[in-house]
Amino acid sequence: MSNLWFLYLFFAALLVFIGLYCLLTMRNLIRLFIAVEIISKGVSLAIVATGAVKNNILLAQSLAITYIVVEVALVAAALALIINIYKKNRSLDVRLLSKLKG
Amino acid sequence: MVIQIILLCGLVIFSVLAILLKDLIKAALSLAVASLLLGIIFFRLAAPYAGVFEISVVAGLITVLFILTIALTKKGDEVTEARLVKLAFPVFLILFLVIDGLVMKSLLQKIPALPSGPETGTFGQVLWKQRTFDLVAQVGVILAGVLAVLALFRKKEEDRDE
Repeated sequence: MSNLWFLYLFFAALLVFIGLYCLLTMRNLIRLFIAVEIISKGVSLAIVATGAVKNNILLAQSLAITYIVVEVALVAAALALIINIYKKNRSLDVRLLSKLKG
Repeated sequence: MVIQIILLCGLVIFSVLAILLKDLIKAALSLAVASLLLGIIFFRLAAPYAGVFEISVVAGLITVLFILTIALTKKGDEVTEARLVKLAFPVFLILFLVIDGLVMKSLLQKIPALPSGPETGTFGQVLWKQRTFDLVAQVGVILAGVLAVLALFRKKEEDRDE
């Protein structure tokens, strides 16, 4: 069982790494948000796999569902924000956001 | 075990494609396939409700939202990424794979797991009775999301009036 846990957490950490790499290096706002989604996949995989290995799958499922609902609300708000930023700047380049003034 | 490894490898491959593909529509579709594979993994881990949510909401709804946003921001593809980013990615990935493999196993042995007995009851009982506060918080988060979207789009309509 420990090997199985190791396998799932290994891949979950890999997903988080891929997402973090994209977040730190890329410039397109939509691509940055895809990276956030990949990180969230890694986290939900870790939650459900740990629940399955530790015989707490019902609790893990309810936590994963809560996580997915939060994720959807986040995506909806962030994509609306991205559309607004695009309308203002006519670009999705994240570097242009540093020129914003309050 | 073999099927699980294949599914996990597919999940990682499609996630990598989602960040490396230049066409954003293809990247969003790769993300949807990755979500689909994650949903199948959830089913195989005896978590059918989480699997259904993952496939219907993340692979379905979020992909639609992404594609809609990409369609509304047509010049989004024109953002140029640094060339070094894609070239350096395999190097960093292999480096992380080695570190992950070496560290994770010893790390798992050191993590203290809280003792817990075997679960009783059904999923519905756990979700509605044990995690009631989570459900209240979910309602709050959904309302916050809806209000945020409404506020952002109302601002646009005001701009049009001006």
